[in-house]
Amino acid sequence: MPDTLPFPPRMGSNAGQPLSRRDGPLKVTGAATFAADNHPEGMLYAVPATAAIARGRVTGMNVAAARAHPGVVEVYTPANRPPLMHDPDEKLGLFGMRMEALQNDSVRYAGQPIAFVVAETLEAATEGAALLAPEYAAEPARVTAETGERYTPERVGFGGPLSVGAGDIEAGLAAAAHRLETRFETPDQYHNAMEPHALVAQWDGDKLTLDTPNQAIVMACGLFAAYFGIPAENIHLRSPFLGGGFGSKAVPTGAQILTILAARELGRPVKLALTRQQMFGPVGHRARTWQTLRMGLDGAGKLTALHHHSTGATSSFDDFIEPAAAASRTLYASPAILTTHDGIRLDTGTPGAMRAPGEASGSAALEVAIDEAAEVCGMNPLAFRLANYAEVEPITGKPYSSKALRECYEAGAKAFGWASRPLAPRQMRDEAGMLTGWGMGTAVFHCPMFPASAEAVIRADGTAVIRTSGADMGQGAWTALAQIGAAALGLDPDQVEFESGHSHLPDAGVAGGSGHTASAGQALHNAGEDAVARLAELASTDPASPLYGTGNAGVLARRGRLYARDDESRSESYAEILARAGKPQVEGTGKGARDPASAETYALQAHGAVFAEVKVDPELGQMRVSRMIGAFAAGRIINPKLARSQYLGGMIWGLSFALHEEAIHDRRTGRIVNADFAGYHVPVNADVPEMEAIMIHEDDPHVNVLGVKGVGEIGITGSVGAVANAIWHATGFRPHRFPVRIEDVLPSLS
Amino acid sequence: MSEILFLLNGAPVRIGDAPATRTLLDWLRETRRLTGTKEGCNEGDCGACTVMVTDAEGSRALNACILFLPQLHGKAVRTVEGIAGPDGALHPVQAAMVEHHGSQCGFCTPGFVVSMAVAHLNGEHGHDDALAGNLCRCTGYAPIVRAAEAAADQPVPDWMTADRKALATLAAAETAGAEYRPTSSDELAAWYLAHPEATLIAGATDVGLWVTKSLRDLPEVAFLNGVADLQHIERRGEVFGIGAGVTIEALRKAMVEVHPDFAEMLRRFGSTQVRNAATLGGNIANGSPIGDSPPALIALGAELYLRRGEEMRAIPLEDFFLDYGKQDRKKGEFVAAVTIPASAPALRCYKLSKRFDQDISAVCGCFNITVENGAVTAARIAFGGMAGIPKRASAVEAALIGKPWSEQTVKAALPAFAKDFTPLSDMRASADYRLESARNMLLRYFADLSGAPVRVLEVSA
Repeated sequence: MPDTLPFPPRMGSNAGQPLSRRDGPLKVTGAATFAADNHPEGMLYAVPATAAIARGRVTGMNVAAARAHPGVVEVYTPANRPPLMHDPDEKLGLFGMRMEALQNDSVRYAGQPIAFVVAETLEAATEGAALLAPEYAAEPARVTAETGERYTPERVGFGGPLSVGAGDIEAGLAAAAHRLETRFETPDQYHNAMEPHALVAQWDGDKLTLDTPNQAIVMACGLFAAYFGIPAENIHLRSPFLGGGFGSKAVPTGAQILTILAARELGRPVKLALTRQQMFGPVGHRARTWQTLRMGLDGAGKLTALHHHSTGATSSFDDFIEPAAAASRTLYASPAILTTHDGIRLDTGTPGAMRAPGEASGSAALEVAIDEAAEVCGMNPLAFRLANYAEVEPITGKPYSSKALRECYEAGAKAFGWASRPLAPRQMRDEAGMLTGWGMGTAVFHCPMFPASAEAVIRADGTAVIRTSGADMGQGAWTALAQIGAAALGLDPDQVEFESGHSHLPDAGVAGGSGHTASAGQALHNAGEDAVARLAELASTDPASPLYGTGNAGVLARRGRLYARDDESRSESYAEILARAGKPQVEGTGKGARDPASAETYALQAHGAVFAEVKVDPELGQMRVSRMIGAFAAGRIINPKLARSQYLGGMIWGLSFALHEEAIHDRRTGRIVNADFAGYHVPVNADVPEMEAIMIHEDDPHVNVLGVKGVGEIGITGSVGAVANAIWHATGFRPHRFPVRIEDVLPSLS
Repeated sequence: MSEILFLLNGAPVRIGDAPATRTLLDWLRETRRLTGTKEGCNEGDCGACTVMVTDAEGSRALNACILFLPQLHGKAVRTVEGIAGPDGALHPVQAAMVEHHGSQCGFCTPGFVVSMAVAHLNGEHGHDDALAGNLCRCTGYAPIVRAAEAAADQPVPDWMTADRKALATLAAAETAGAEYRPTSSDELAAWYLAHPEATLIAGATDVGLWVTKSLRDLPEVAFLNGVADLQHIERRGEVFGIGAGVTIEALRKAMVEVHPDFAEMLRRFGSTQVRNAATLGGNIANGSPIGDSPPALIALGAELYLRRGEEMRAIPLEDFFLDYGKQDRKKGEFVAAVTIPASAPALRCYKLSKRFDQDISAVCGCFNITVENGAVTAARIAFGGMAGIPKRASAVEAALIGKPWSEQTVKAALPAFAKDFTPLSDMRASADYRLESARNMLLRYFADLSGAPVRVLEVSA
């Protein structure tokens, strides 16, 4: 596998290199400043008091005791919360969610903020919140499928369609040689970025400075501004580093709004830093799903019908239905495909986007169902997937802009040794007697782009500065985006200063949906090219330049010089061109967005194949993943070092989905019983096996000018199914709910 | 209020006005404004707040979030800001973390860097174990482990060894006042008799959570980390005496040769940071039904020494645990020591948990059977996670004793588990699973003593 991937010459030689992250030294020395590390002069601390019931009303709080506690400055409750310019129960655009900002005394989920204490010290605010000792009029908590309210939502995900399909499912089922109906449950999962949500708010007149980790900096300013009746540009949101986001740090939440409000009312900076426990509820989660797949298969093992229905849980007061069935729209060929959704309202916080929203849960079900179908047909799971390979996108019939999935299957299977896999389960044991199984899953994720803009400035000394408000939540935007900008400018990344991570910069759009590198990257690319074109214009129109007469399309930018495309002996450095023109700098601007024509013409998807080995203790049922290999094709890779880590991180999230993560509600109180890192398990080092991510090259001229599809989320998809299918292959037990529990597997072992 | 004196990144710090239960993490971040050390969970689960603490015994990694300031008196603390050289030169582990892409979002990174730097200083190459207490949500650990491997052979920078030398110059302040810090068990005994309502704090891995999570007020406390005579492990003939103040890590090291299965279970007892703080006395005295050391100690036939004033009494450890949350401990009485036999070749310890490291046991079973002339002459079997207390499987033992040590005997004894235990179903495991896996552990034990490999504790990757 090459460490660098080819790049067109006019892109320069920087992009494609496995550059180490530029912010690495800051992070390993503790010098990188995260939001909660800020401490402006005179700062107060805010601590929310949270509800201990899941539904009902707060009937009383000992506000006097909290106020009387030394150090407590103010206690906000619905009785005294100052007015906001936007109703927290009203939606605000596509991404705005309803929130709790003390608008009334109702409780809609356990962990909801019901009061807000501001004090001179963190201890005083914490103690003040505890002294409130709220009393409630509780109603029965609805936290199970049986007690929740079933309903038909208008949309799924962020504005997605409820139902998509083509062909006649019932006819396809009727004509099938084999029919299969299979059901799945996936759990509530919480993002649990290592950095808990935090915000420091400081007002200066009607200007507001916010230090808070955010994945969509400029958009978030617009949302925050609406609650305070100020122009969005009055907010300076600084988010140089996010300690992980995974989808939970884009949309403002109630406690953040209250912090800003308190800072304004009290005339002092205020800091909010949620505890780990407070992260379970008000900042989003991946909600439970109940999924059913109905499949028809002909005698040759080809799908005749595929119906994927998903019931998603949401809160009692807002809608985010996991678009799980969408996973079945684009992967396997079938003359009839139908993907449908409905919802259940529960007394929980409102869910939201969490790494691979929709696809993660949907692919978990689909890939197990596909394995079951292969079993019914007596086929090797890889052969079955190849038999149902979609040459064009099912439902739409569009060609793929590129699709190297076949190559992923081939490379992954070869590296894993899949060819020697016995067809039947329970055939393999390792030298220690462990039941051993091999499973696979197909990975798929769409390639969205968000509107983004950027600037590039080439300076008199030949160096450059590029600007966009991008968000680095660990994926490496500080590095990969700089590489793209530098490549477009024909400069080494060391010669390019990158300004990013705050809102007084061109809007880089959303760092989400695996679309940030493509979107902000394209904007930077275009800005860099624009700046180079202006420089070329100066040179090619200047009779004193060796490039005179080349026209600005007739030059190449490389290593800080422009070369005549047809005669590279003619060249001039950027500094020389600017010096002779007497200009301190040239400026370029650029935008990134999906080309509607390519979206109309092509199906735009990244693909991959994941293979897993699981070992199961035959007496005790303990399951351990011992090996995982993924092969992914996601267009052009800007930085293999960063991309590989995204794939591996995603695969571990898949492993974690399959075996570990689950928030468990107490049915009586509605509270989450494992709302901490002791009980909510994310994998530790010892749970993570030997892993490999193979990068399959794809040249994609259609997806965008960079050929970038995005790598942040695809690693989870396919991986959950691969682990579950390996458990089946080891034990003969077919998992239908996640995470797979030892108790589920145990009966099949005895 | 007594003064606390310690070294912070090489410079002396004197704190005269902090409450006894102020954590090092809060003090670092909010008072000292040294914010490289991060708060990820505030309960010792994630390691983002890992700091290096050095005293005469050496340097070790500890979680700053459940470490109270008085515990640092007379010691040296090094945070992530003190891991790079005074001139800004990166420590080898820092440089390797950058090179190997071991830092992504960067929030867990300071904790990892300190854990790695301590292991590097101590020449420990068991990277997986050194990093078991640090959670990462981005990288999947492999790049971090590779970074640790890459740095392992590079020399220890000078500044990392400076703390031990500087400690000699740190004049230990006189101690007095509310946060009592006894220096001998006699002092402790007299004081505790006079203050029986006080909370004794050893490693604070449990009491720390009373403060950070339960927000409990502890009006009167005593810190035991200065009680030197409770921190010894002594072998007298065929018996080991273990002081209550011995840390789990010190005990683990002492057990590696003697009771290797016990040592390996202690490795999974908690992360390096937790083992470095937690004490054996604390794990016993808190009476948890899911503490991992009591089942092994009971299987070993441990005697527990309890001291009240001048009186010392010894009881079998299993008799200490009366009921859930209730122990045979009088007011003013404290756990002083435990004795265990120096030889128990048939001891085996099995810990089952959902997650491999850093997880509370669903079931912890420890077995110690004596077979003479083919027949079972003695049996000590104890479980955690199967009842409200760590409990012996008396009926199972009775079903084995006097019988030939055979698969038939073992199978015949299995129904007795239901007489001994009626476990609960909770989020860690169902009652049925607990009972079945307890039975299967006995089968495993039989297979193990017969020479078949036992894999429950192994990472079979």
